[in-house]
Amino acid sequence: MTEPSAPRAAFAPWDRRELPGLFGVVESARRVGNYKWIEMRLFEALGGWVATVPELDVKLVLGRQCYHHAWHAELWNKRLPELREMNTERLTQPPNEEMVAFVDALRDPEAPELTIEKLVGVYRVLLPRKIAAYTFHMNATSKITDAPTIRSLNFILQDELEDWREGEMLLQSLIQTPEQVERATRRQQELEQLMVGAGGITGPGSLGNADGTAVAVGEATEEASQGVGVG
Amino acid sequence: MKKILPVDELARDSRFVRARIEDAITDPRQARLAERNTGSAKLEPDRPAAGDRARQLMHGIFVGEIQALEGAGRTTFDFDDEEVPFQLKLDMARQCWDESRHCEISVKLAEHMGTEIGEFTEATFLYEAACAPDPLLRLTGVNRALEGLAIDVFNTMKEFGDSSGDPVLAACEDWMLADEVTHVKMGSDWLRRLTETDPERRERALEFQRTVDKLFSLGGFRGETDENPIQLARRFREMAGFSSDEIDELSEVATEAQQEARAAAGLAPSS
Repeated sequence: MTEPSAPRAAFAPWDRRELPGLFGVVESARRVGNYKWIEMRLFEALGGWVATVPELDVKLVLGRQCYHHAWHAELWNKRLPELREMNTERLTQPPNEEMVAFVDALRDPEAPELTIEKLVGVYRVLLPRKIAAYTFHMNATSKITDAPTIRSLNFILQDELEDWREGEMLLQSLIQTPEQVERATRRQQELEQLMVGAGGITGPGSLGNADGTAVAVGEATEEASQGVGVG
Repeated sequence: MKKILPVDELARDSRFVRARIEDAITDPRQARLAERNTGSAKLEPDRPAAGDRARQLMHGIFVGEIQALEGAGRTTFDFDDEEVPFQLKLDMARQCWDESRHCEISVKLAEHMGTEIGEFTEATFLYEAACAPDPLLRLTGVNRALEGLAIDVFNTMKEFGDSSGDPVLAACEDWMLADEVTHVKMGSDWLRRLTETDPERRERALEFQRTVDKLFSLGGFRGETDENPIQLARRFREMAGFSSDEIDELSEVATEAQQEARAAAGLAPSS
């Protein structure tokens, strides 16, 4: 028999979730807007490339993963109004012009013989950066106050990790000669430099700052910092 | 990567053989073939060539699925955020996944039925309809006209699977049929939403749909009589947002096309 009137703690002994997180509402919303923007640009690129790749297995994987990223964009689009951004388009933005330059370069290859270049951009540069930024967000934000974001991050990260693995395996199967190794390496280097210039998918501070804060460098306004204290 | 990828730039491996639908239609041998009296044209197991017809149709479905995947993918890319609603892009991305799955199913089914990639030619009319510069034309030309045709084809193939005792074929076609109803409904819903205040644009889009529908009724390929290999699937079309009037109109187009084909072959009109 359980004793219905016996008091129990709100948090079970094994539930170690804590307040506060590093993000306030505004900072979380800003990042979510960046996430939605990059997911959109990625699903468009994968969708556009389907017709340009002759390799049947790659074509079908791109078609499948196109929807994964569209679904991620949809999840972020639904989250934005819950973070007080009723005009979701306002925050559906790249973090900076450098990120726009990165995306333009990522989506540039078109010719059918450039499948390696297309896949390297996605699976060796962008997806690792997304996985890193999403993981940072999940670790840095409060698992209590920002739980809806955490839930979406969990679903999305599962997709990202599985998609990255599938894409990397496609690449390994396509890269067969020293010349192809050279192409893949050169492409990764070009795009990685652009990504470093952008500071990651949410700009500088994508993975936090050296001083332990999480707010984007140069944007540490009072509003953006709301929620950092328990309040 | 440029917007609007021309059909001649579709990427294929060496197994695929491209054919133009115009060449097939104007092939002088077609008239001679039409003279043959082979009885009912419906896809039924007791027809001597039913197996070959089904395999050819399966290959046609496969290449159609590839192009549907490519067309939906291009629609996610070809239009900027200001040109099409976000939700429409999401629907197209969802369709990419569905079509990708249909390609996988089709490859497995083709193997199951004893054919292989490249055994038959590929015509690219579906992708051509997906290159329209107005996204609404893509929705009527592809989602409503061609995916509507896919409803008819999958239902016909499902019935062929049932009647020929092939549960694998019947089950797979039924799964794809469910997805196609969803895609046609997407087209119907977006047509309504995007033209609520623009009846002229709606009429232009529907006219494009009629043109595509007529193309695919050529020679009596699709209709409601025993002379049509592909049968109009009225019930599923209604589920996908087609009105009874629209289906009646399709049926009439099919009958006219069939009579034209008979006349071209010097045959008497069918009753």
